[in-house]
Order: sequence, then structure tokens, then C-alpha cells
Amino acid sequence: MSGAREAVARISEDVVTREGTPAASAPAGRASAGWKVLPIVEGLVLLIALVLPWVLQDYLTVFATRVVILALFALSFDLVWGYAGIMSFGQALFFGAAGYGVALMARDLNVTSILLILPAGALIGLTASLLLGGFLLLGRYPSSVIFVSLGTLTGSYAADRLARGWYYLGGQNGIPSIPPLTLGSYEFEEGPVYYYMVLGILVVVYLLCRFLVRSQFGLALAGLRENEQRIAFFGYKAQHLKAIIFAIGGTIAGLAGSLYAFHEGFVWPNMLGVVFSTQVVLYVLFGGSGTLIGAVIGTVIIEGVSFWLSDNYRDIWPIILGVLLLLVIMFRPLGLISFVLGERERVGSFGKAPKKESGNAAP
Amino acid sequence: MASIFAAVFEIVSFGAIIVLVVLGLGIIASMMGIFNFAQGEFVLLGAYVTYLAYAHGAPVWAGMVAAPFVVGAFGFVLEALIIRRFYAAPIVAMLGTYALGLIIRESVRGLIGGFYLTVPEPIGGSIDLGSVHISAWRFTIIVITLLVMGGCYLLLARTSFGLRVRATLENPALARASGISTPLIYGATFAFGAALAGLAGALIVPVFSLFADLGIRFLIQGFVAVMVGGVGSFIGPVAGAGVIGTLSAALPWVMSPVVADVLVFVLAIAFIKFRPQGLIAGKGV
Repeated sequence: MSGAREAVARISEDVVTREGTPAASAPAGRASAGWKVLPIVEGLVLLIALVLPWVLQDYLTVFATRVVILALFALSFDLVWGYAGIMSFGQALFFGAAGYGVALMARDLNVTSILLILPAGALIGLTASLLLGGFLLLGRYPSSVIFVSLGTLTGSYAADRLARGWYYLGGQNGIPSIPPLTLGSYEFEEGPVYYYMVLGILVVVYLLCRFLVRSQFGLALAGLRENEQRIAFFGYKAQHLKAIIFAIGGTIAGLAGSLYAFHEGFVWPNMLGVVFSTQVVLYVLFGGSGTLIGAVIGTVIIEGVSFWLSDNYRDIWPIILGVLLLLVIMFRPLGLISFVLGERERVGSFGKAPKKESGNAAP
Repeated sequence: MASIFAAVFEIVSFGAIIVLVVLGLGIIASMMGIFNFAQGEFVLLGAYVTYLAYAHGAPVWAGMVAAPFVVGAFGFVLEALIIRRFYAAPIVAMLGTYALGLIIRESVRGLIGGFYLTVPEPIGGSIDLGSVHISAWRFTIIVITLLVMGGCYLLLARTSFGLRVRATLENPALARASGISTPLIYGATFAFGAALAGLAGALIVPVFSLFADLGIRFLIQGFVAVMVGGVGSFIGPVAGAGVIGTLSAALPWVMSPVVADVLVFVLAIAFIKFRPQGLIAGKGV
């Protein structure tokens, strides 16, 4: 196993040197001089997020809460696509399934306690993603990328159609008037408290994800993304790794979905379907896939601009979005974050730093 | 007996529509290896061109004849400007064409508003067969689909252009070395696929009327059909489209439409999982 680890570590060096052309650019140069851009960006974003409710009006805080929840959702997609290279074109399936699940719990069972709702949402996301991911990714033959992306897209589309046609789920209208989340006798209303609660969850999940992608497991994932066959030859079970990260992504999406359902107060079929699935792809591609903070920034920018433009330019905003997306894909495939983040730092270092590792070699 | 015949006609005519839509998608996917997410929007554009012609007083059939040429030319330009950059990475191609589709769809939405615009059938009325009345236009669509299918097959299997296209698919490097201009072939293939989508949109607009999400409706069904049939040949996607189209039209007759809708997708994905090469494996036309 340790042999395999070393070999994989060598791959990561390989990845860095192979894609090392941007190393000459300014940001990367700064990174090699001991400056880390990523923590600064992360700190800035967190700082802005913390002070926001103090400067925003109430209705804007409600909007900001929605953005934070969507950022959590974007994080789930980024793990799956940005790190493991699984194109999940149906991530909203887990988001929406959890949303519908907790909405039904609130409607039919009168369960609104946050201590039950959030675990239930995460569990629904986990179950759904284990089932779909297990089916699409596992098996005797490795599935092609195209098959997985079309399979997830189809799953999401089918769920959307099912929700639209099923009377029990409210059909086209979805499930309206979900009561507020509760903790004991306290009710989470929209506003600063809900905002900080959601932000706290986002920070915790973000830190967990950060730990995950910087671990040995994260290194194997990055290897999967770059060259799946090579990882398989090193003895990793590539399909299992993919299924695991897919399930983790689904869990986070489920958590986000249950928060979203209670925050908006209703769920509707679009939450399950192609609309939200592609929306999250936009967030992550725009911000920068393969960096966790990129997903958050992409969500904030797209939602923010969309909100800002919605008064005057509602009709042409989707067209602008399409053009921007096309430009990003053609000229900035690593997203906006790549303007400040060098390639070397994006790929990052994994596990312990190499020098220390030679000092205390004991595993 | 009469109602069974009517049902069979319904099923066959819907199957024909799906085949028509999938033809272009299948040719682009098989011959170029990219899944074109903008294909649904090419269908929409074809429908829009037909509507424009009709709205400006031209006969509907004139718009239908013009649609494939307009959309084909548009596809050729798009390929030269944008799609060409995406050949190396199939997923990036999916995202890029998705962005293109978004731009086209929202532009058309801006032009027509959120309305459902109707275009009359160029051949109206119905054909009476004893006690059964079938729509003349739907019957025409079936006939045209058969003609187009035959034409595409002959083009790819019997002409020198078809040979070049297949050679480029099989081994681009060798094709280039043999003096075939592969970029031109790719451009022409993409334009051809787009033109077929434009034709499909023009023909189906009297049946479904024109609205901005017309293309999306068929896109996912089309992809599933291509995968079921098998990528890499001409016959595969067509066969897949026949199966998917027939199933989605036939199942609602025996069970609740909601369940049928979802069941088709579940069955298709399960089928692809256990037979990744599709119904008709292997190269050839």
C-alpha cells in the first residue's frame, strides 16, 4: 500500500509538471515564493459572508441565505466533477429528492425539528446517490464518462417528470407552505439567524471537504480525474472510489436540499430536474472546478448578478449567462478562480509535506 | 379493430418523429464522437424558421424547405467558430454545446415571448380508411421520415462523400494522410446533422406548435435513443430511436402515462448498462 502511495505521489508530481506551463505566470510565481493565495481567498470570502447581514437589508439577507444554501449544493457537485471527474449532470436529483422527502415529513408527519430534518435530508441524498451511483458506476466493466453523465441527466429528468405527474407530490405545483424549521420551541424564521445557521453548516462541510480532498483519498481522486487507467493499475479500485465520492456528493446535496426546502417554504418539480442540475454545473464551471472555494464564488457571482439584473434585464440574462459560460469554457476552462490561483496551488500538495515525510517515515 | 389501427398509427407516427429528430443527433454522435446538446435547439430553430416564413406570408411548405438549409448553414458556421475546439474532450464538448443551446433557446424565447405559436399543416385534413380517419400530415411525416432515412443511408453508404465521412470516423490520421480534408468533413457532417434537425423541427411544428422549450422535450429522449441503439454506426441510433419512440408512444396505452414516462427511461438506462455497445454493435454504416 505504501508503495502504491509513493507511486501515486509521483503521479501528482507528474500532473504538476505536465500541466506546469502556467507555473511561469505571476500568481504561481508568488505561490512558489511561499505565498498561498487559496487561504487568503477563503478567508476573505468567509469574512464578507460573516459581516453581510450587518450591512444588508432584511430581504437581501433572505436572498443571501438562499445563495449560501446553493453554494453548499455547488460544493457537492464540485467534489464529484472537479475532483473525481465524474460528470454528474443530475446532481439536482439528490437535492430535490431530499427537499421533497423533508417536505413530506413536515406535511404528513409534522416533523420540523432541525435535529431530525437535516440528518433525514442527508440520509435521503446518501441513499439516492448510493443507488444511482452504484448502478451507474459499479459493475463488471467501467462505465464510460458519457454514459454516466447521460445516466445522471436522465435520472434527474425522469424524477422531474415523476414529480410533475404524481398527485401525492403535488404535481406541477409541488408542496407549498412548509412550516419553519424548529429547535425545541424555537422557530427558524428567514433572516439573520437562519443565515448564520446555514453559513455555519457551509463552513463545517467546507472544512470537511477540504480535509477530504487534501488527504490521500483526495490524491487518489485527483489521479482518477487525470488518468483513471493508471490509478486502476496501481491497485486502487477506481470504481469504488468513484461510487464513494458520488455518495458523499449526494449526501451534501441532500443536506442542501432539505435546508432549501425549509428556507423557501415550498418545493416544486424544477428542484429535481434539469433546471437545477444544469444551474449547479454553471456555478462550478464559472467559479472554477477543482477548487472548493471556486464553487462558492461561482454561486455567489452568478446568483448575485442574476438578482441584480433581474429588474431590468430579466429577458436577456440567460443569454448573457450562456455567452459567459461559453467564453469560460473556451478560454478559461479552470474558471474565474484561475485568474488569481496558480496551477501548482490548485493541484496542491497532499498528505504531509514531502520533507517532513522523509523525516518521520513511520506510517 | 378500428381503434387498434388508430393506436398503431399513433405509435408509428410518434416513432417516426423521434427517428427524424434522432437522425441528426445520431449522425453527429456516431461520426464525430460528440454529444451535441444544442441539437434540440437546432430543432427549435428549424421550427422557428418555418414559423417566420409563415408569419411573413410565405407558404408553410416554403419555410419547411428553407429550414434545413438555414439551420445547416448555421451549424456549419458554429462548427468552424466554436465546436471545432471541443473535439479533444467529449465532456467539454457537451458543456460547450449546452452553452450554445442555452444561448439559442433564450434568444428564441426572447423573440417569440412565452407563447405557444401555431403553424398550420401544409397538408391538412385526414385520410379515410374505411371507418378510420388518420391525420394526413402525420402520415406525410412518416413518409418523409422513411425517405430521409433512405437518403441518409445511401449518402453514407454509397457515395464518395459517405466513404470519406466513414474514413474520417474510422481513422482521422490515416484519412488526413490519404488527402481527405478532415476539418472540412467534420464541418460538413456537423452541418448535415444540424440540417436534419432543422428539417425535423420544420416538419413537427404543426403538430407540437412553436414554444421555446420545444427542443428540450426531444433532447434527452434523443440521447437515450442514441445510446440504446449504439454509437458508431448510422443504423444503430435509428434503431434505438425506433425502439424508444415506439415504447414511449405505446406504453401509455397500457398503463398510467406518468409511470410509462419514467419506465421508458429506467428500462433504457438499464439496457445500456448491461449492453453498453447498444442494440446494433460494430462499425459499418
